[in-house]
Amino acid sequence: MNTYTALYPILTIVTGALLIILLEVFLKKEKKDYLGFIAVLFLLASGAECIKFWNKGFSYFEGTLLLDKFALFFFLIMILTVIFITLISLKYLSLQHTDHGEYYGLLLFALSGMMIMVSSRDFLVIFLGLEVLSMASYALAGLKRDDERSSEAAIKYFLLGSFASAFLVFGIALLYGAVFSTDISTIMNFFHVETNFSLMALTGMAFIIIGFGFKIAVVPFHMWTPDVYQGSPTPVTAFFSVGPKAAGFAVLMRIFFPFWKEAVNSEIFFHILWILSVLTMVVGNLVALRQKNVKRILAYSSIAHAGYILVAILAGDNSGLLFYLTVYLFMNIGAFSAVIALSRKGKEFLELEDYSGIGFRYPWIGATFTVFLFSLAGFPPTGGFLAKFYIFSSAVHKGLVPLVIIGVLASLISVFYYLRIVIYMYMREPTRNVVIFSYNPALFLVLFLCLYGVLMLGIFPGNILLYIKQAVAPLAF
Amino acid sequence: MSELFLVFLVTGVLGIILVLINKILGPKKSNPTKNTPFECGSPYLQDRITPVPIKYYLVAFLFLLFDVEVVFLFPWALVFKKIGSPALIYMAVYILILALGFIYAWKKGAFLWEK
Repeated sequence: MNTYTALYPILTIVTGALLIILLEVFLKKEKKDYLGFIAVLFLLASGAECIKFWNKGFSYFEGTLLLDKFALFFFLIMILTVIFITLISLKYLSLQHTDHGEYYGLLLFALSGMMIMVSSRDFLVIFLGLEVLSMASYALAGLKRDDERSSEAAIKYFLLGSFASAFLVFGIALLYGAVFSTDISTIMNFFHVETNFSLMALTGMAFIIIGFGFKIAVVPFHMWTPDVYQGSPTPVTAFFSVGPKAAGFAVLMRIFFPFWKEAVNSEIFFHILWILSVLTMVVGNLVALRQKNVKRILAYSSIAHAGYILVAILAGDNSGLLFYLTVYLFMNIGAFSAVIALSRKGKEFLELEDYSGIGFRYPWIGATFTVFLFSLAGFPPTGGFLAKFYIFSSAVHKGLVPLVIIGVLASLISVFYYLRIVIYMYMREPTRNVVIFSYNPALFLVLFLCLYGVLMLGIFPGNILLYIKQAVAPLAF
Repeated sequence: MSELFLVFLVTGVLGIILVLINKILGPKKSNPTKNTPFECGSPYLQDRITPVPIKYYLVAFLFLLFDVEVVFLFPWALVFKKIGSPALIYMAVYILILALGFIYAWKKGAFLWEK
């Protein structure tokens, strides 16, 4: 088998991105939608390649490119995310005067960065992927060029993001100084063998946690999240809340799964992550209570969800984490596409007041949005409930009872602000004249696919769990 | 070693004291004229900082891009014989990607001075 075969999923994405960037300058302004379809085509091709590689377990370039089932599962999650994002932004871009064709190219570049991140075991390559992802993200955040908030979001994201990247690189450098390697398994082996306290290596690990904590928006490093999420164009916000988070957690899983088992001094990091997780769940949910803007509510809710997922990392429950991320993809993108649906030319309806009476005026949007909110809050028939249940029950099995109690209480708080949107939609008289542009077939397709996903994963989780069990197997070597 | 440290300590603390003592003890009498920017005695000509178009930055960006490209060409030329013919393909792909970016910038009008 040729070495370059392993690159096909990533190469397909990069080729698509380059083609789109090139076509963008040659296509007429009215035909920008075609670029979205081209993007979807390349994404599907890449997804097909991932499925074809499923049972092969490629590992190339001395482990710097691993196409194990774990990476491929994340590839598929991310490709699905970007397909959804592309579909929901087709109409949105022209309605909100942001129809730059580069948008799709940037999305694909960001995707390729995430793919590099999750498919490597080498910190330097992971950093490379992170930078590819970040560069594309900064540009995506500032896509509404005539909007002040969007520019603010881009600048904030850029400054804080590069600061966090600096921490990450410094952490990698310190680890290299201690271990003489950037390979994750070698580093973990070092932590296993080294019984005495190596301050340099531990500082390096701490810095790496900071770097990734920023990307997945864990509480002391979450300050950028609300502003960036609010300022960015809504489909980009949906992307930020799912894609980079999944990639960051994938890397954390690769680091911490062997770490808990092997490392002698993993105790310290266990406590650090414990505190981060509690802070994330509590602060994310409490601050969300006071928000009036739906995008900000969803931003804080995504912070809180990062806290729940950290519980899974602490419990070492990899299949629960993957299941949570899968469900989170469907429910979060679904919720954001409902928000995007409520827009018309040059105007988005984002205040809570705008949502009063929506449930009766636009029954489909109201009903699907309600299901996604129930799922985010963790109500039983939906996937959100099962995901939380798996994570919390495995944490209880590991004896993390205080953490689970805090988590359950935090998610109880979250019910308030999720249901407040539902109450506005169904139990308030409409106070504002909300008229939306409703001919948007691609968006409704995504809404119903997400609805299907959330309900399917909630009622019949067996099939996907089978694949997840296969996917986490390579982590346990 | 410790003497050297002492020297740095004394000079450093002395420097900080000398700067701060002026701030603490000096009289603070301020008036609007004192606060205006200095403009050689004449009244202030500009009322605020106006944005200046920096047209050169795009050209500078692109220059940086191709500068870095050439830097990568040197090590490539050194190991060319060792790698053999695939090296040509690698570099061709690399330059093709850069060329795509160049075409993009060109068509977008990055080189038009007056827009």
